[in-house]
Amino acid sequence: MIITFKQLRRLVMPLMASAICFALPAISSAAEAGEQAEKAEHGISLHAVKLVEFGHGFAITNSMVVTWIVALGIIIFARIATRNIQDVPEGAQNFWEWLVEGLYTFLEGVIGHHLVRKTFWFFATIFIFILFTNWFGLIPGVGTLGWGPGEGSLSIAHVDKPLLRGVNADLNMTFAMAIIFFACWIVWALQENGPGGFILHIFGPKGNTTGLLKVLMIVVFLIVGVLEVVSILFRPVSLSFRLFGNVYAGENMLEAMATLIQNPPWLRMVTSPLIPIPFYFLELLVGIVQALVFMLLTAVFTLLICQHEEKGHH
Amino acid sequence: MAPLLAEIGGNIHIGLAALGAALGVGFIGMKASEAVGRNPGAATQILVQAILSTAFAEGIVFFAIYLAH
Repeated sequence: MIITFKQLRRLVMPLMASAICFALPAISSAAEAGEQAEKAEHGISLHAVKLVEFGHGFAITNSMVVTWIVALGIIIFARIATRNIQDVPEGAQNFWEWLVEGLYTFLEGVIGHHLVRKTFWFFATIFIFILFTNWFGLIPGVGTLGWGPGEGSLSIAHVDKPLLRGVNADLNMTFAMAIIFFACWIVWALQENGPGGFILHIFGPKGNTTGLLKVLMIVVFLIVGVLEVVSILFRPVSLSFRLFGNVYAGENMLEAMATLIQNPPWLRMVTSPLIPIPFYFLELLVGIVQALVFMLLTAVFTLLICQHEEKGHH
Repeated sequence: MAPLLAEIGGNIHIGLAALGAALGVGFIGMKASEAVGRNPGAATQILVQAILSTAFAEGIVFFAIYLAH
């Protein structure tokens, strides 16, 4: 498909407009920052800030609030779009059909016809949720509106306690998603292979060998199985760290770019909204790529354990 | 020279991990583009392979970061 210049401009203009909108609140925050802005340079805290504490370790953190907002938004949007289903879709219904159908055909190409019918609900949910939470975290105000040590009316030197925080910039959330996948993975593996087949799939010898070589292969694949168990147990850790690391690093980078130039104050007011703009494009890309990576990795892990050698891959 | 090297220390292993991961991601991107150029019809499968390999390559940096402390 060839995209003409006009089409390209039509695609790019709204993006540019939204990027400039993203950057606008930075002007006001830079104006408010005052002389003590140097304090803000140490970046975002590693853990989500507790907004309401109930005691006994229970609390509502700012990333939980964003989780609920995004989940509620997706649910309401989906309900409204599918309330009055037409034969010829348009508007919101068309958007959801395009998204779900696109995901379905894409996943069918990766993990096959049989598995996609059984596991599509999980992968589609994970992809849509991670994508929208990543992009929600880019909306200006997330991570910048909140409470902090004040000096006079409406003047905050540095926001310690943001009201909202990017969901995947909280390791609890990414680890929870990885653990849910791990539980699903075990259930699917047991359903597809049976308990014996599951053990055999991990520890059993592969390939056709006979005689003494077969005995050797059994020993070798037993040791390989131990290695495989370690790698399987490490998967939730690597899945959650990868998503958390990417999103958290992105938020830190945007903050660093917004506070790059501190003096003189007039230059700070000009550069703090302008410098992060290219990085906003990068973060939009990272948001979709990380959602894709999480979905693809989980899908491939599922495929690897559910694949049957004798049937071949179809 | 020795005090200077001691000063450098710190998180140098994160830098090395980032260097390796960046090289890895670059190689994956290069080969993926070459593959798509040779066989544009297989673009989707190549994208899947490339994204998976990229994820594994960049995961190294995060392990290096978290093992730093």
